[in-house]
Amino acid sequence: MRTSRPRGRPLLRTSYAEDLALLDTPAKRVSTAVLLVAALALPFLLADDLLQLLAVGCVAAIGAIGLGLVTGYAGQVSLGHAFFLGIGAYTAAALSGDPDGRVIGLGVTDIALWLPAAGLVAAAAGVLVAPLATRLRGLYLAIVTLGLVFIGQHVFNEWSALTGGAGVGRPAATLEFLGRPLATTDATATRDQKLFWLMLALLVVFAVAARNLARSRIGRAFTAIRDRDIAAGVIGVNLPRYKTVAFAVSSFYAGCAGALLYTVTGFFDPGSFSLLLSVQYIAMVLIGGAGTISGAIAGAFFITLLPRLTRELQAWVPFISTQPNEVPNVFQVETILYGVLIIVFLIFEPRGLFGLWVRARNYWKAWPFSY
Amino acid sequence: MTATTAPSGVAAAGTAGAAATTIASRVRDRARDAPDRAAMREKIRGIWQETTWSEYWDTVLTVGHGLLALGIDPADRVAVLAENRREWLWTDVATVAVRAVTVGLYPTNPAGDIGYLLAHSGARVLVAEDQEQVDKALAVLDDCPRLERVVYLEPRGVRGRYAHPALLHWDEFLAAGAAHRAAHPGAVERLMAAATGTDLATLIYTSGTTGRPKGAMLTNANVDFAVHTATEGGGLASPPPGPDDLILSYLPLCHVAERVFTTWTNAGAGVQVNFAESIATVPANLREVQPTILFGVPRIWEKILATVTIRVASASPLKRAVTRFWLRVSDRIGARLVATGGRHTPATRLAYAIGWLFCYRALRERIGVRRVRYAASGAAPIAPEVLRFFMGIGVPMHEVYGMTENSAIATGNRPGRVRLGTVGEPQDGVELRIDEATGEILTRHPGVFAGYLDDPTATAAVLEPDGWLHTGDVGEWVDGTHVRITGRAKDIMITAGGKNIGPAGIENELKASPYVKEAVLIGDRRPYLVTLIGIEVDTVGQWAQQRRLAYTTYRDLTGKPEVVELIRSVVDEVNDRHPPVEQVKRFRLLPKELDQDDGELTATQKVRREAVARAFAGLVDELYAPGGDR
Repeated sequence: MRTSRPRGRPLLRTSYAEDLALLDTPAKRVSTAVLLVAALALPFLLADDLLQLLAVGCVAAIGAIGLGLVTGYAGQVSLGHAFFLGIGAYTAAALSGDPDGRVIGLGVTDIALWLPAAGLVAAAAGVLVAPLATRLRGLYLAIVTLGLVFIGQHVFNEWSALTGGAGVGRPAATLEFLGRPLATTDATATRDQKLFWLMLALLVVFAVAARNLARSRIGRAFTAIRDRDIAAGVIGVNLPRYKTVAFAVSSFYAGCAGALLYTVTGFFDPGSFSLLLSVQYIAMVLIGGAGTISGAIAGAFFITLLPRLTRELQAWVPFISTQPNEVPNVFQVETILYGVLIIVFLIFEPRGLFGLWVRARNYWKAWPFSY
Repeated sequence: MTATTAPSGVAAAGTAGAAATTIASRVRDRARDAPDRAAMREKIRGIWQETTWSEYWDTVLTVGHGLLALGIDPADRVAVLAENRREWLWTDVATVAVRAVTVGLYPTNPAGDIGYLLAHSGARVLVAEDQEQVDKALAVLDDCPRLERVVYLEPRGVRGRYAHPALLHWDEFLAAGAAHRAAHPGAVERLMAAATGTDLATLIYTSGTTGRPKGAMLTNANVDFAVHTATEGGGLASPPPGPDDLILSYLPLCHVAERVFTTWTNAGAGVQVNFAESIATVPANLREVQPTILFGVPRIWEKILATVTIRVASASPLKRAVTRFWLRVSDRIGARLVATGGRHTPATRLAYAIGWLFCYRALRERIGVRRVRYAASGAAPIAPEVLRFFMGIGVPMHEVYGMTENSAIATGNRPGRVRLGTVGEPQDGVELRIDEATGEILTRHPGVFAGYLDDPTATAAVLEPDGWLHTGDVGEWVDGTHVRITGRAKDIMITAGGKNIGPAGIENELKASPYVKEAVLIGDRRPYLVTLIGIEVDTVGQWAQQRRLAYTTYRDLTGKPEVVELIRSVVDEVNDRHPPVEQVKRFRLLPKELDQDDGELTATQKVRREAVARAFAGLVDELYAPGGDR
């Protein structure tokens, strides 16, 4: 039996478990707890429409974490994220859909079944794609994954028995658990409050799982591949295997996110899974901070809330119109802001929102010196 | 294993009754009383691996049996040639347990010195750290007829490549020890029970600034007095060191001062020892360990001060302004503390509390002294400015004084009764007098050594029959309580003007500057004082970079007129504080860094004056040549 290590010395690590701990300092433990409590209390403080947006943010964060694992951690640039999101969304919708409806439906309405199924089907698709990644690198891989999006879009548009067809769409998966609906307004809480709590809980589960993966042997293999795949191969990292794992895990996250994404609005259309969606997720990872889980979450919320922010902006900058037929209007500002932000972040803070935080933290960490 | 061995050890001690207290018996008792507490930590592959007291004692027993298996008899010598690490302590304590004598050798010593020390001490077993040390040992093996076995710790480059019959890997040595332990249970405990106070515990070689190193013999009684004074006696921190204290062990364990702070406080008070990875990683290790008790030689404190100066200078404007402001405040706090002997007044306490929020807490955390409750400087004189800086930022700094020959116990500044510029008051149980004719300090106490090994002439020269030890340091009383050291008796210079000058004071004032690493004052029987100055290449290099001064090598840097001007300003500043006869009239920058391999430094990095004066005779002649520049 060992004595516990001396107090107040966070750098004096006496075991590897301590060295690898997720929350290794008291400050991190306290701030995480405060953040969680604050997030749980949000539904009592905010209006329902904003809560709905935040619920979407939580789901987007799950998808962004998935892309972050393959792009940020393992360094395999993937533009095919929309394809995997689509596979997840349709798997879940088809499983839980009404058997007597106009589109395919199997009537398995329990989230405990359709959510893992959506993830697994998407992961299987990821495994099929992975051999490409073991052959190709960088730009070539990006182009090939781009092809996936077009194939996916074509299939989704044409297969109207599954998707309802372009411009029509189909209902999303049903939120039920053990026969009880998870998100309906009742005496205790509204639908949007419940939705937010549900998505928040799922986000926490997925985020902790991803952090755990990132600090494990697999996560270390990912970063080794990202930093230099030849060197990683030389030190004994099995490249085909870990690239496959990266795509499988990433697609699993994307599949789950896709399945959940449209349960908030209840209805979706095959046109959603376009290149734009992929680019949005890339933006989440890049603006949030590649190679970090917290960054992916921050980026997802930022991108999800951006349209809302530009609308709020109108109150402060009166010459921007809310009418689409006037110039300048909020929709134009939103589009411009979106592009400007990506450019600004890539040039001035490639580490993204998380990088800003790291910069602020390091400033105080080094006090009273500069390095 | 401990559960069965510890009681038998106690029983053995109990039957003998009169067994002397040794560091081995102290470790055994700690293992019995607090088996699961951490005794020491060593950083291996990024993790501070802990050793508990029971593991410590268990290993010591195995090592002790291993020594018996190699045929070590009482009073035989066992030499250790390694950086500070767990094996050093295991070997040291196990050697004492089997009534043999530990000899520490500096890992930086060249092969020739190692050969001399091994032959002179008559060591039969050498514990060598790695291939580098094994190479040295093998090179001189023929000159050391008594040396039988070389136990190496790091197999890399040795195992499978060297086939010398004397070589033995540490693991094989431990296996031999375990086999011997199974065959002869209780053998080590029986030897411990027979230990007496007059048994030699260790042989510590003096650094030898003037000649060949001499082996000072310390007995168990000497060590026990030192342990007692340093721990229960309150000679160090107040309250005394205890099991909740941490220290960082980074200075050579062959030196008596580090032995006091590492091995002896560990065994005597249960202080947790943390071994630094190497001398180069001390700043990083200090930050990790945040020790509560910190001992440093002046060079270490000067270096930390220089680091702070240079890092503040290169901080962003806001940080620089804030820190400089609070360092000015800490100067005043330091000055006030110097006046009060280290006790805060309400005003300094308030100023410190505010400064703690803005600067001192973070600054102390960065340099690794956030939790230091007792800091000590010793082994060489230090400039009061350096001590005042640390007192100002809230590190309770105490200058202590002792030497190998009196087990490092003589005087020390006590918490709350600090007098800057003195080495403090005699420790409890220490008799100290200053010879009226020569001004030399003499001490007498149970820690005074048993003599130099095989050197009765040298022993007679320093040790009087009635037990008084001539320290060779010249000093004076301050207010009848504190002792001030004015210099080494043999270093005192008499200038042509007839003035006696101790070089250490002026040299240390120069070294207090972040730009000066070494200063060697010359002036004995010369018309005036001159100095050879070695620059601190890190800080001067940074200074030069900030001024866009291109340089290539150390030599190139010292040749820059701007650098000479920079050092001139340091010298002028020191000169302003002294009467003309004590002023440095001229100086030259040393064109190379002083080095142990060139014989200019001792293993403890002390300057060998004669060697430096000889090596740079040309520079010295220039300085006394008429008509040269200053």
